[in-house]
Amino acid sequence: MSGHGKYEGTKNLGTESGLNLKAIAGKPMTLAQVREELKGVQGKRLWRSIDELANTPEFQAAVEREFPSVAQEWVDPVSRRGFLKLMGASMALAGLAGCTKQPDEPIYPYIKAPEDLILGKPNYFATAHPFVTGAVPLLMKSDAYRPIKADGNPEHAYVKGGSDPFSQASVLDLYDPDRSQHVMFRGENREWAEFAEAFRDTVAGTGDGTGICFLSATITSPTLARQWKEVQAAYPKATLVQYDPAMAGTPYSRASNIQYALAGADVILSLDAEFISSATFPGFHKLVRDYADRRKDPNHLNRLYAVESTPTTTGMKAEHRLMLRASEIPAFAAELAKEIGVSGVDAPACAWTDEQKKYLAALVKDLKAHAGRCAVIPGEQQDPSLAALALAINSALGNIGKTVLPGGETVHPIPSDQIAGIKSLVDDLNLGKVNWLIILNANPVYTAPVDLGFPDAIDKARVIVHLGSHVDETGQIAHWHIPAAHFLESWSDARAYDGTVSIVQPLIDPLYGGKSAHNVFQVLLNEPELGAYEAVRATWRPVIKGDFEEGWRKVLHDGWLAGSAFATANAAPRAEIPKIPVPSSHDALEIVFRPDPNIYDGRWSNVGWLQELPKPVTNLSWDNAALMSGATLVKLGLEEDDIVELGANGGVVKAPVLVAPGHPDNSVTVYLGYGRQFAGRVGSGQGFNAYLIRSSASPFYTTGSIRKVDGKWGIAVTKSHYQDHRASPFTTEANKNESLEAVEALGARGIIRKATVRQFQANPNFANEGETHEQTHMGTSIFPNWSYNEANAWGMAIDMNSCTGCNACIVSCYAENNIPVVGKQQVRIGRDMQWLRIDSYFEGDLAAPRAFYQPMMCQQCENAPCEQVCPVGATVHTPEGLNMMVYNRCVGTRYCSNNCPYKVRRFNFLLFSDYETESLKLMRNPDVTVRSRGVMEKCNYCVQRIQEAKINADKENRGIRDGEIITACQQACPAKAIVFGNINDPNSRVVKLRDNQLSYQLMADLNTRPRTKYTAIVMNPNEDLEEMPVEHAPANG
Amino acid sequence: MVERLKPLMATTELTKDPRRDPVTGEYRVIAPGQTFKSVTDKISKIVLTPHTPLGWYAYFVIAGSVVMMLTVALTWLFLKGVGIWAVDVPVAWGFAIINFVWWIGIGHAGTLISAILLLFKQQWRNSISRFAEAMTIFAVMCAALFPLIHVGRPWLGYWLLPLPFTMTVWPQFRSPLEWDTFAVSTYAIISIVFWYVGMVPDFGTLRDRAQSKVGQYFYGLLSRGWRGSVRHWVRYESASLLLSGLATPLVLSVHTVISFDFAVAIVPGWHTTIFPPYFVAGAIYSGFAMVLTLAIPLRKYYHLEALVTDRHIDNMGKVMLATGFIVCYGYGMEAFMAWYSANHWEAFTFWNRAFGPMRWSYWCLITCNLAIPLTTLWSRRLRNNMTFMFILSLIVNTGMWLERFVIIVTSLYRDYLPSSWGTYRATKWDYMTLAGTLGFFLFMFLLFVRFLPMIPMSEVKLLVPQAKITPKKPVEAGD
Repeated sequence: MSGHGKYEGTKNLGTESGLNLKAIAGKPMTLAQVREELKGVQGKRLWRSIDELANTPEFQAAVEREFPSVAQEWVDPVSRRGFLKLMGASMALAGLAGCTKQPDEPIYPYIKAPEDLILGKPNYFATAHPFVTGAVPLLMKSDAYRPIKADGNPEHAYVKGGSDPFSQASVLDLYDPDRSQHVMFRGENREWAEFAEAFRDTVAGTGDGTGICFLSATITSPTLARQWKEVQAAYPKATLVQYDPAMAGTPYSRASNIQYALAGADVILSLDAEFISSATFPGFHKLVRDYADRRKDPNHLNRLYAVESTPTTTGMKAEHRLMLRASEIPAFAAELAKEIGVSGVDAPACAWTDEQKKYLAALVKDLKAHAGRCAVIPGEQQDPSLAALALAINSALGNIGKTVLPGGETVHPIPSDQIAGIKSLVDDLNLGKVNWLIILNANPVYTAPVDLGFPDAIDKARVIVHLGSHVDETGQIAHWHIPAAHFLESWSDARAYDGTVSIVQPLIDPLYGGKSAHNVFQVLLNEPELGAYEAVRATWRPVIKGDFEEGWRKVLHDGWLAGSAFATANAAPRAEIPKIPVPSSHDALEIVFRPDPNIYDGRWSNVGWLQELPKPVTNLSWDNAALMSGATLVKLGLEEDDIVELGANGGVVKAPVLVAPGHPDNSVTVYLGYGRQFAGRVGSGQGFNAYLIRSSASPFYTTGSIRKVDGKWGIAVTKSHYQDHRASPFTTEANKNESLEAVEALGARGIIRKATVRQFQANPNFANEGETHEQTHMGTSIFPNWSYNEANAWGMAIDMNSCTGCNACIVSCYAENNIPVVGKQQVRIGRDMQWLRIDSYFEGDLAAPRAFYQPMMCQQCENAPCEQVCPVGATVHTPEGLNMMVYNRCVGTRYCSNNCPYKVRRFNFLLFSDYETESLKLMRNPDVTVRSRGVMEKCNYCVQRIQEAKINADKENRGIRDGEIITACQQACPAKAIVFGNINDPNSRVVKLRDNQLSYQLMADLNTRPRTKYTAIVMNPNEDLEEMPVEHAPANG
Repeated sequence: MVERLKPLMATTELTKDPRRDPVTGEYRVIAPGQTFKSVTDKISKIVLTPHTPLGWYAYFVIAGSVVMMLTVALTWLFLKGVGIWAVDVPVAWGFAIINFVWWIGIGHAGTLISAILLLFKQQWRNSISRFAEAMTIFAVMCAALFPLIHVGRPWLGYWLLPLPFTMTVWPQFRSPLEWDTFAVSTYAIISIVFWYVGMVPDFGTLRDRAQSKVGQYFYGLLSRGWRGSVRHWVRYESASLLLSGLATPLVLSVHTVISFDFAVAIVPGWHTTIFPPYFVAGAIYSGFAMVLTLAIPLRKYYHLEALVTDRHIDNMGKVMLATGFIVCYGYGMEAFMAWYSANHWEAFTFWNRAFGPMRWSYWCLITCNLAIPLTTLWSRRLRNNMTFMFILSLIVNTGMWLERFVIIVTSLYRDYLPSSWGTYRATKWDYMTLAGTLGFFLFMFLLFVRFLPMIPMSEVKLLVPQAKITPKKPVEAGD
C-alpha cells in the first residue's frame, strides 16, 4: 500500500494545484521552466506549489543534473530539509518572494485544557528504568506531557534518589531521532496487526510451538516472565533464550544475588569489582551511597582495598590498589582464601612478587582484624570461581548476615545460563530446527560471541522477527522489524536490586507506535489485544493487599511496592568452589573485555550525551581503545593513538592505543559496544567492534596477539595526563614518572588537598594551612564589596571524599541545561560543552597511581575575574551572589574564558545546538535557553531551579527551606557528594559542610572568593602498607 | 640647530664631510643637487604618469587575489562561526588577537615618525613620513578588522560602542576591551585626519600639474581649494602642529591600552606591570621594521634614493636598535620576575614558555627579536646594506608576531588549573585570514603609491638648499 502511494499522491496534488506538470514530464527541468511553472502563483499557493514541484520526478532529475553531488542528500530526510532551504533561496532568486506562515494543517488550541496541565508547571511521575542488574526507580519530570528529566526516586528505600549516567540519559534515548518508526516487513511498512495476525497464525499452526524460538535480552519484568510462562504452557515446545553480552557468564545471571551492607564494613576488598563507580555493578546505587557515607566523617572512615585488572575509579579511590592481570585475580583470591582459613581451596601455583605477597599479608591481617566488619566483593566480569571464593572468604570471616547478605532470588525472574542458551540456539539454527526466531530487544548479530558464527546461523531461520528500538545490525537482516517502545512509552514492571518492585509507568504515548515485548507475548495468549497495562495489573492484582485500585494507585504514586524486597539469608548457601583457573603465562598478551562505562554493551551507542562523556580514568570520549600500561606501550614500540591489530579467538580488529594509568603490564583492556554499523547518526562508525574477538568460552578475558599497523586513529581525550618534565623546574628524580598535571595540582598549586587520618589528627587544619592556601582579605579589591547579608547567598560544598567519579552529574547537567553534543572532532580540539566536568589527578608513578576526583563547575566567584573583563556586561552578578550569563547580551569576545582561572566557561564556537531535529525539541528543558553560536555559557547553579523555588516560596509567603533547591548535579549524585544551599542560613547543610575545617576554596589566593568549597581528602591507609609519606616538598621555585 | 652647529663649522674637515651640507654644515637629509623642481617632478610624476609600471600591475594582481582569499575566509567565518579557527578552551584567543596586536603595533611607527619626530624637528622624517602614515592607516584598518571578526557574534560588535539604546544598556567600562574600542577608534580617526591634512598642499600641486580631466577633478576635490597663500600655510602649519600634539600621546597610549588587555587579566604571563612600556617599545620596533620593509623596495623601484637616502635607513636601524633593547629588557624582566616574585604561577608559566611543548615559539622569538637584530644593528656597514636591512626587517616583523603568539597562546594553554591544560594548532582559515590581511595591506598600499604622493613634496622641498632662506649670509666663524 505504501509502494506507489507517494507517487500517486504527488500526481494528484499536481493536478489539484493546476500546475501543468505534463508539459515537462520526463525531462529534467531547467530553472527557466521552474520559473515559468511558478509564475503568477503567490502566497500560500506558491509555497504549496514549490513543494509539489519539488516532489516531481522531473524536478528531482533537474536537481540531480544540476547538483549531482547533493542528489544523494535528497534521499536523506535531514539533509533534504537543509537542501530545500537552499533551493528555496534559489527559487526566491528566481523571482519569488518569501514569507512565513502557520502550517497548512489545521491546528487547534486547547478549548478545555487537561485538568492537570498548567503550562510551565512540570509534573512528576514515578517510574523505573529497567536494567539488567536491577531497575533504577525514577522520578520523571514531565513538562506539557513530555518527559524531560530523569532522576532517582528520593523516597525509594533502596536507591534513595541517586541515579547514574544511563538513567539520566534515558530521555535522550527516548527522543533519539534515529529510532525506528514503522513496523516493517522486508523493508516495507506494515501495520502491527498484520504482524500479529501472521505471528499468531503461524504459532497456532505449529500446535505446540515447535520451531518457535525467542531470543530476548535478559528478562527483568515479572509480568513478562509471567507472560512467557503462559506462552510456554500453551506452546510447550517454544523456547526462550536470554542473552545479554555483558551479563552472560556472570554469576549474577545465574541467580547469585548478594547484597552488601557497607555501612558496617570497616574494611572492603574489591576483587575486580567496580562497585562504586560503575552503574552496571549490581546494587551500585546502594553500594556507592553506603561507601560514601563512611567517607564523610574522617574519624569513622572505612578502608578500601582494590585488586583489579582494569583501572577503574573504584580502584583509583582505594587506599591500597593492587593491579593484577585478570587471569591472576582468581588465583590471588584463592591465596587469600587459604590465608583466611577457607578449607578445600586448591590455589593454582603462581609466582607472586614480593610486593604482591606483602599486599596479601597486610590484607589478610587487616581482614582478620575486622572479621565481621569487612566485606569482600567479587567482580562480575570474572571467572565464576571468584564469586564462590569471595563468598567463602566472607563466610570464613563471619561477614554473612552482617555486611554480606546472600539472597535466594534475583531480579531475573527466569535465571538461565545465557552462554549455554545462545550456544544451543545456534545449534538449533544450524540444524534447521528454528522456524521463527523472535528477537526481543537484543542485537545478537552484533553482540553474539564470535566463535558461534551467529550471523551465518541466523540465516537458517525461516522468519526472523526483530523487536528493537533501532533498525540495528539485527534489524537489518530481520524479515519483520517492530519498533520497540521505550520504557518511558510503555507499561511494564521491574525490580530494584534488592527486589523492591516498581511499576514502569509510561510518561508519553509511543512516539512512533512502538510495541513492547509484553505485546509480542500477549499476541500468543488468550486475549491478544490485551495491552501491557492490563497485563502488568494482572500480575500485581494478587500481590497488592487490600483494595486493589487504591493499592495500585499508591504503587504508581510512590514508585514502588512496599514490602516486595527479597528476603536475605544469614548463612551462606553451601556451594562448591569451581576449579580455579591457572593464570595465563606472563609472556602472553591478555585481552580483557569490559562493557563500556558509557554505552554499556552498545545499546546506548546513539546517545550523544553518553558518547561524549569522558570515560573514567582515561577521559576518552567517542571511541573505545586498546587500553594498556605505559610500559607495555613502550615495549611494543607504540605511541598513543597508533593503530594496532588485536587478534584473538580467530578474529581480528583494528584498534587505537591509549595508556590507562595503572593498567597491569602485558594486558590490554577493550570496551565492548563500539564499532556499530547501524547504530544511528551518532553511534555508527565510532570505535571498533570488540565482539569480533570475544568468544563464548572466555567472555571476560582471553589471550591474543597485538601488531602495529600504519596510521593514526584520531582519538578524542578530554584531558591528558601529561608527562613533560622539561616544562617543570620542580621535577625531581622521584617524580619523573608522574603526571606533570598532578605534580602541579597536588603540590605547589594546592588544587587537591589531602592527608592521611594520622596527618589529619596531627593537624586538623591542614587543608587551610600552607603556601598557596592563604585566604585573601575582603579589603583586597579595588571595587567595593557587595554585602550579601540581606538576601539569600547561594553556595555549594563538594565532598571529594565521597565523589567516585561515576559521571551521573555530568549527564544530569546535560539534560537539565540543554547542553549540546559537539561531536568527536570538536572534543578533540577542546570544545566539549560540559558545564560540569570531573577533573582527575593521578598521584604517584603513572604505572600505579592513585587518583583524586574533583567535580569542577563554575565556582560562582564573588569577585569574579570574568565579570570585570566582559566589555558588554554579559556576565554579571546577582544580589544573591550568582555569576550569571546573559546569553542575549553576549557578543562572544571569550575574554571571560581566558580570565577564568577554573576554565569552566564553555563557548559555542560553532552552531552546536540542534535547532532542526524535531524529536529533540521535545526534550529540551523549557526553563533553559538553547544557546546559539557565538555565545559563552557555563554553570549557573541551576538558576532556573532557584527561581522556581523562590516563586513558590513567595507565593506561600515564606523563606526558602534548606534543601528545597537541589541542583541537577546534586540530585543525580548517588554518593551525595554535592550539597547546595543558602550560606546565609547558619543551620543549612551547606554551611555546616563549608565550615568544616577540611573545607577549602580553590585558588583562594587569587582573591576570586569562590562560592563553591571543596572538602579535602582524608585517606585511611593501612600502616603496614603505607608507602612513602605522601608529603610533597614545598615548591618555592 | 643651526646655532648649535656653529662652533663645529670652524673646522674645515667637518665641512668636507660628504654627509654634511657645505653651506649649512648640517647633516644632509636628502642627496645633494635637489631643487624644488626636481623634487616636485620626481614625486608628482609617479602619480600623474599615464603609464602605470607593469610591475605595479603584477603586484596588484597578486595582492588582489589575496584579498579575494580573505573575502572567502571571512565569508566562511560569518557563515560558520569562529569555530573554523583553532581557538578552543583554554586558548580562547588565537590568531585574530595576535594579528590585531601585531598590526596595531606596526601602525605605531608611522605616528611616531609623523608626530613625535615633527615635534622634535627631526627633518629626516620629512621624506618618509607620508608613506609611514599611510602604513599606519592601512595597518590600523587590518588591525581593526580582527576585533570585529573574532567575536562570536560579529553582527553585534557595535554593542561595544556607548550607544544610547532605549534599554539604557551601556558597555561595561571596566573591561580593557572597552578601552580598546576607544583607543583604536581614536587612533584611527586622528591618523586619518593627520594624514589627509598633511597631503592637502601636495594635492594642490597635483591638481595644478594634472593633465587629465579626471585627475584635475580628483585632486581638485581633495585639495579643498588650496592656493598656497601665506594664510593657508600658516593655518596648515598650526593644524599640523596641533594634530601632531594630539597624535603624540597616542603613540604611547594606544599600545598601552592594548597591553591592558593582558595586563589587567589575571592569567599568569599576562598579569605584568611591565607590559605597557614593553608593548609600546615592541610596537615601535615592529613599526620601524615595517617601514623598512616598505621603504627599501619603494626607493629602489621608484628610484627615490635621492629622497629616501641611506641615512634614513641608517637612522631607522638605530631606532630599531634602541627599541629592540627595551623589548629585550622586557623579556629579561619577565624571566627575572618569574624567579624574583617567588610566585609559583609566574614561574611555571615562564618555564613552560621556554621549555614546555611550545618552546619552539619562544626560542624563535628570541632569535628573531634579540639574537639576530641586536647583534647586527650595531654595525653601520650592515645598516647601510639594503639587502641585509630588508631581510632583517622581515625577521623582526616575524619576531614581533611571534612575541604576541608567545604572550597569548603560551600563557593560556597551561594556566591555573592543570586539568584544563590544552593546546593550540592553527587551522588553514587562521593562516588564510592572516595572509589575507597582509594582502589587503599590500593592496591598499599599492593603490596609495599609485594615486597619492608617497613622499610629501611640500615637506621635502623644505630640505632643499633653496628653502634655506634664513641663514642667507654665509656663516662667519666666531660670530
